[in-house]
Amino acid sequence: MLSSTFITASHTFLFTQPLNNNNNHSPLTTITHKKLKPPIISSSSIKSQSQNHPILTAPSLPLTTSTITVKLNRLASEFNTLTEPIERVKRLLDYASLLPPFDDSDRVPQNRISGCSTQVWVVSAMDNDGKLWFRADSDSEISKGFCWCLVWALNGAYPMEILHVTEKDLGHVDILGLGLKAKSRINTWHSLLLGMQKAAKDLLIRRELEEKAFCSSMVADDDHGGGVFANGKLSGIGIHGW
Amino acid sequence: MEVLLLKVPSFKFSSPISCCSISTRSSSYVKFGFRRFSSLSVSASSTVNEAVTEPSLASPSLGHTTRPHFPILHQEVNGKKLVYLDNAATSQKPTIVLETLQSYYKAYNSNVHRGIHFLSAKATDEYESARRKVATFINAFDSREIVFTRNATEAINLVAYSWGLSNLKRGDEIILTVAEHHSAIVPWQLLAQKVGAVLKFVNLNQDEVPDIDKLQELLSRKTKLVVVHHVSNVLASILPIRDIASWAHDVGAKVLVDACQSVPHMPVDVQSLNVDFLVASSHKMCGPTGIGFLYGKIDLLSSMPPFLGGGEMISDVFYDHSTYAEPPSRFEAGTPAIGEAIGLGAAIDYLSGIGMQTIHDYEVYLGRYLYERLLSVPNIRIYGPAPSEKTERVALCSFNVENIQATDLATLLDQLHGVAIRSGHHCAQPLHRFLGVNASARASLYFYNTKEDVDNFIQALNDTINFFK
Repeated sequence: MLSSTFITASHTFLFTQPLNNNNNHSPLTTITHKKLKPPIISSSSIKSQSQNHPILTAPSLPLTTSTITVKLNRLASEFNTLTEPIERVKRLLDYASLLPPFDDSDRVPQNRISGCSTQVWVVSAMDNDGKLWFRADSDSEISKGFCWCLVWALNGAYPMEILHVTEKDLGHVDILGLGLKAKSRINTWHSLLLGMQKAAKDLLIRRELEEKAFCSSMVADDDHGGGVFANGKLSGIGIHGW
Repeated sequence: MEVLLLKVPSFKFSSPISCCSISTRSSSYVKFGFRRFSSLSVSASSTVNEAVTEPSLASPSLGHTTRPHFPILHQEVNGKKLVYLDNAATSQKPTIVLETLQSYYKAYNSNVHRGIHFLSAKATDEYESARRKVATFINAFDSREIVFTRNATEAINLVAYSWGLSNLKRGDEIILTVAEHHSAIVPWQLLAQKVGAVLKFVNLNQDEVPDIDKLQELLSRKTKLVVVHHVSNVLASILPIRDIASWAHDVGAKVLVDACQSVPHMPVDVQSLNVDFLVASSHKMCGPTGIGFLYGKIDLLSSMPPFLGGGEMISDVFYDHSTYAEPPSRFEAGTPAIGEAIGLGAAIDYLSGIGMQTIHDYEVYLGRYLYERLLSVPNIRIYGPAPSEKTERVALCSFNVENIQATDLATLLDQLHGVAIRSGHHCAQPLHRFLGVNASARASLYFYNTKEDVDNFIQALNDTINFFK
C-alpha cells in the first residue's frame, strides 16, 4: 500500500474560518485562501511513484460536466479492470493514502455528510473564477478512498457542472463491485456526491446573493467604494452540512 | 433411505401443514427429524476460563443438523462460502416456512374474517391458528392477547399511541435504559413531546449492563411505564425481567418488554414474567418479514382505544362515529399480512419442534465459543459483560479493533471472505455514545450456525486485521 502523500503542505487550500478582508479587495477578486492552488496532481510528480494507477498518470483535462463524466468513466474502467475484490480494495486504500491532511477543527457536525454509516467530513470553497475545491476525510480507510476519488473527479468544476452530475453517472462506478445502486447508509459513494452537490448549491446561492448585494451597494454608494463588503465579508466560504 | 442425518433421532412437527420433506445435498428426499438435544447442553455454571464443553463428536451439533433446512446458507458470495453471522439483524428461513408461504398464495389466498366461501374460511382458520401458536409459544393466557402488527416497532408505537396517549399526562415518567433500540426510544420521545411526560434513562454499570439498582432507585409513584429490552442486541446481556416487572408494579407502573432478541432464542413465558406488554418480530425468528406481534394483558388491551382506524377494527360505522371491535381485532385495521402470519406460525412450529431450551443451550455453548475466540484477537474490545457464573451472555458480540474502523472490517470480511457481519450503531446510537464510540462491528449467531462458522470468522478477522497493518 502506498503511504506517501503527493499533495504537499503548500497545496493545502481549504480553510475553516472567514478571512479578514481589507478594504482594498473587491469580494469578487478576493481569493478565498491565500494559498489556494488547484490540487490537481500533476502526472510528472507521481509518474515515478505509481505506474499502475491510470487515473494518477492521466493528463489533466479542462473541467466541464462532460469532463466530470469522463473522470467518473475513468474511475469505472480502472476499477472494472480489477476483477479480484482484494485488488479493488487495495487500489481504494492506495487512493485513501493520497488524501491531504484534514484539519481537526473541520471535523465538526456541520461538515459531516449525512447518510453514511461511517463518519465523512467535507469542506469546500469557491475560488475567484467561481470554481469549487473540496477537501474530505473519514474515519474509515475505505471511505477515504471514496473521498479521494470523488474529490479528484469534482475538484475545479463549476457549481452547475457538479449539480448536473446524476446518480446515473455515478451508478456505473461500482468501485467495490457491490452492485449497489440504491440509496442506503452504506452507500458512501452516493452520499458523498449528494453532500458535495449540496455544498455546490449553497456556495452558488451565497455567491449570487453576495453579487447582488455588491451590485446594490455599488449603485447606492459608488462615490465612496466598498459598501456592505467593505469591512470584509467574503465569498465562497464552504462550510456546510445537512 | 438412511443418510448420516438420520442417525439423529427423529421428532415430529406438530402441525400437518408443516410436515416436511427435506432435500439433502444428494437430492434424495427423506423424512427428517431430530430429538431435542438435551445431551448437548453445556453446564451453565462454567466460567469463561474453563474450557467450553463441546458436544460429543459422535453426534452432529444442532447447527450441522439444521443447516440443510436453510437453502440460503448454501451459497457463495464474492467467491467464498457464505458465513452468515448477522442474525440479530434478521434470521434466515427454513424451507418449511418458504413452502408455507407459497402454499398459502398457491392454494387458499383469500381475505380473512369477511368471506363465507371456502378459501376465505380456510385462510381465516390458518390465520387464527397462527395467532394461537404465537400465544402458546410465549404462554399467553389467551390468544386474544396477541395483536398482529407489521413488526415490533409498530407494536411499540401502538402502545405509545393507544395506551400512552390515554394514560400519560404531564410530569409522568417513563423509565428506559441507554441500551434500548431506537424503536423502543423514539415512540416514547414522540409521546413525551405530545403529553409532557419525562423520559429517564438508566446508565450502564461497571459490568456494562444496565444498572438495575439505579433502575430501582428511579422508580417512583411518578413512573407510569418501564420500557426495557429482554436481551440487548449490542451488549448481549439479559435483564431480570421478572424482578423489574415486580418493582414496577409495586409503584403502579406498567412494563413493556422489547423481546426481539429473546423470543427467537430462548423460552419466554409472559405469565411467569408478568409483563404488561411484550413485542417481537417474526423476521428475527425464522419467520417472514412484514409481521410481528404485541402481547398485552387482555384487561389492558380491552381498555385501550384504537391505534389505526379502518376496516376490520370496527363493529358498526355511522357517518359521524363508529364503534369498535374487541381486542385483538380492535388493533388490526385493514387487511393483515395473512400469508406472513401463517408463515410465522410455521416458523413457530419449526422452532418448537427443536425446542427453545435446546436452542438456547446450544447458543450458550456457541456464544461462549465465539466470545473466547474473539478475546484472542489482539487489540479487541468486546462490549457488554464478560460471561460468568452469574452473568449470561447471548450468542452475539459487538466489538471494535483498535485503529480499524468497524465498517472497514465488515467490508473486507464480506469482500474477501464471504463473512456477513454488521457494522454501525445497530439502532443503538445512545448506547454507542455512552460507550464513547461511533460504531461497532457485530457478529450474531443463531442455532443454524456452527463452530466452523465461528472459526472461519475468526480466521477472516485476523486476516483482515493483518491486511490493515
